[in-house]
Amino acid sequence: MEKESSSLRNLLGIYSPTYAPDDPSMNVSVHSSNTNTPLLSPYLNVNPYAIQEPEFILPEGASRQRGRLEYAFGAIGGSVILGAGVGGFSGLYRGLQETKGQPAKIRRTQLINYVVKRGATSGNALGIMALMYSGFGVLLNWVRDDDDFNTIGAATATGLLYKSSAGLRKCGVGGLVGAGLASAYVLWSRANNNRSLASLVGSTRF
Amino acid sequence: MEEYAREPCPWRIVDDCGGAFTMGAIGGALFNAIKGFRNAPRGMTHRMTGSLTAIKARGPIVGGNFAVWGGLFSTIDCSLIKMRGKEDPWNAIISGATTGGILAARSGPGAMLGSAIIGGVLLAMIEGVGIMFTRITSEQFKPLTPEEQMQMMQQDPNFMGFNPQGDPNLQSA
Repeated sequence: MEKESSSLRNLLGIYSPTYAPDDPSMNVSVHSSNTNTPLLSPYLNVNPYAIQEPEFILPEGASRQRGRLEYAFGAIGGSVILGAGVGGFSGLYRGLQETKGQPAKIRRTQLINYVVKRGATSGNALGIMALMYSGFGVLLNWVRDDDDFNTIGAATATGLLYKSSAGLRKCGVGGLVGAGLASAYVLWSRANNNRSLASLVGSTRF
Repeated sequence: MEEYAREPCPWRIVDDCGGAFTMGAIGGALFNAIKGFRNAPRGMTHRMTGSLTAIKARGPIVGGNFAVWGGLFSTIDCSLIKMRGKEDPWNAIISGATTGGILAARSGPGAMLGSAIIGGVLLAMIEGVGIMFTRITSEQFKPLTPEEQMQMMQQDPNFMGFNPQGDPNLQSA
């Protein structure tokens, strides 16, 4: 009777601190298959209050445990999806405006064309940029230690490469835009103590 | 092995999309470099220009097509995991077929069916190869019966990591 009531308490997850060798509720096999009431080994009965508080293995502020390569695919995929989404919506808007007054069936096809075409174009462009940036970032990290100059260097190289076949002037402008964006990001993340950003996006680093 | 290093489900979509885009963009760039080189008019300058033009024009598009495939596949895969409550090769096969079908939706039902079958068969083959590799690698870790162990020890006295007859520590014990 005593055993049953205590095992019921265990089952309900009510913490009983009186674990002792003479406690009959301790004498329960882990594999309890012979009775109808599934008895739980007291060793499996954990006080839920013990695991209420979140515990971190890593010290606070350790925002950079993962390398650039581990974030590369996520960053590229995110860029593709973001670009496709933005492009798709702008295509939808543009298509709705330009196909006013057309029969519904034609309009529908036209709208799909607008969305797909614009979404693909901007998604591909943004994805290629992210791919270049990630590639350069991984390369730079391979050559030298990871720091903010790698971010700026990778972004500059991305801008230069992306506009490399559009003439020297545009190439330079592309590099400058990359360097400017990366510098702004670095300054911003430094101003935010490198930590608030990490908590904002789950310590993701683009 | 890759299976254990993958992201948890909603983020897996983004990750797979990026991986597919990378694969497609790099592969497409290589493929189109050769294609543009071959299709350009005579002369090294022309050929190089043609190669570069083809890379710039077609590389991102191949990447984008791959990304759409990967992203849609992963989305359906994750939905199936949630709906069926398990992760098995059928998920991949079903999502491969569905992805093929959906992406051919604008070409009519016949094309949809064809693409779906191709997608399903392709993924079934990939999963099959994966299972085969798992079987082959797990063969190494198969536990031996005591008879087999004795046999192996007779062939090689150090098979168990030590030689019970030759180990002075064990003999004194």
